[in-house]
Amino acid sequence: MLEAELAARFAAYAEAKLLGARNVSVANVARIHGGASRQTYSIDLTYDDATGPKTKGLVLRRDPPDSLIDTERRVEFAAIRSAYGQKDIPVPEALFLETENDALGAPFFVMGRIEGGVVANPFKLDMIEPHRADIGRDFFQHLGSIAALPVEGSALAHEVEVPAPDACWKRELAYWSNEIRSNAKSPQPVAEAAIRHLERNPPPPAQRLSIVHGDYRTGNFLHDEAGSINAILDWEMAHIGDPYEDLAWATDPLWCGNDMERAAGFLPWPEAIEIWQRASGCRFDPAAFEWWSIFAHVKALGIWVTSEKAFANAENDDPILAWSGWFTHAAHELMLAMRLGPKYGVTQ
Amino acid sequence: MTDIGMVLGRLGNKLVTEVAPKLEGDYSGGHAAMAGFMAVMAGEAWDGAADRLVNEIAGMRGLFALAGHDVAVPESSSVKVSDLTVERDALAQELITLQAALETKGDEASRDLNTKIWMHLMATAMIRMPSPPEFPEPEPA
Repeated sequence: MLEAELAARFAAYAEAKLLGARNVSVANVARIHGGASRQTYSIDLTYDDATGPKTKGLVLRRDPPDSLIDTERRVEFAAIRSAYGQKDIPVPEALFLETENDALGAPFFVMGRIEGGVVANPFKLDMIEPHRADIGRDFFQHLGSIAALPVEGSALAHEVEVPAPDACWKRELAYWSNEIRSNAKSPQPVAEAAIRHLERNPPPPAQRLSIVHGDYRTGNFLHDEAGSINAILDWEMAHIGDPYEDLAWATDPLWCGNDMERAAGFLPWPEAIEIWQRASGCRFDPAAFEWWSIFAHVKALGIWVTSEKAFANAENDDPILAWSGWFTHAAHELMLAMRLGPKYGVTQ
Repeated sequence: MTDIGMVLGRLGNKLVTEVAPKLEGDYSGGHAAMAGFMAVMAGEAWDGAADRLVNEIAGMRGLFALAGHDVAVPESSSVKVSDLTVERDALAQELITLQAALETKGDEASRDLNTKIWMHLMATAMIRMPSPPEFPEPEPA
């Protein structure tokens, strides 16, 4: 669908949805790059209501023909609603959800747009200086706060399964193992060996059940260029599980700008862990972190082989999928091999 | 012109340094930059692809020989990358089976062979890792 057609159809949709709004039109619509899991558009909506003319900034997330991650937009919408207005976690307001194709040709949802934020590039973390440490404190504070959100009664708990604390790891490992085995275009000996290693060496049960963002990392938040994170985005992989899953994913080396000395490339590890413990109410357990950090590499491979398949089968020709299926796949396969080889007798 | 690596490198450089900046602000600008990055990477990978596959195949056949394991995977009829890939993939599937079986045994010979498989997996993962291309910062307009 061309952007002009999208704008016209969205304006008609918004006029029906916004109570009391008249003369609704889309002043600007621009696709935001990088959102391969959903087609993401920034929209300026203008309308009149009883108090006069209004302008509203919105973000539209529409399902593409294929995506990096096969998720229900209903889950993402519920996850955002679960975090909105809680514990100072900066998330946009979830406004409308459409699960049918009628309005815009594909399911979509609409959020309020948070103004004034920029994305931090995980491959160019030096660009956030001199605010690296301040952003890092926000990063681990919000990560811990998400882990501390109430699960029971949350919008997300109505949409997804709530596992037992000792079953979180098994469910996630089974899911991502299946993604790898179903989608890989070639045999994956490193991933298969890692899956067997994780099955033989399970982690301790989750200390608590938490809302897990699922993709909390550099690249998925906005910051104000003055040291504060002002939006946490991309909740499409949210679920309920072990908060260590998010901690391990957030500190995966791929998102650290090659800075292994600092957690997520931001803060000295002790400081980062202290902030996370305080905000989450969890205590740091090296055994749990070890398991979940290896799992993070496996989960990443699950995403990358799915991307590669979508690109190779011409289901989605966004070059980011080819990049993911090649460069980031190779990076995570190398990380896994270098971590596991020494456990099986390889001396470096 | 037969220097494929050079052609891809030059095309990639043009996309990243000339085309993508002109498309800045448009969604296709990101596509152009990403395509340019990968063209450079493809040029580098093209040069070493057959060599990497031949070594990977030899490494796996060596591991099966050490295991006393007859593999019924025929040798490639050519050194085309596509043919070598078929042979490599078939052997990699066999390697998964062999390693999983070794992990269930506690004897020293099995552990030693498993270590050698890990050495192979580490080495091949290292060789497959592309080096991210670097481009000069664009000149200010």
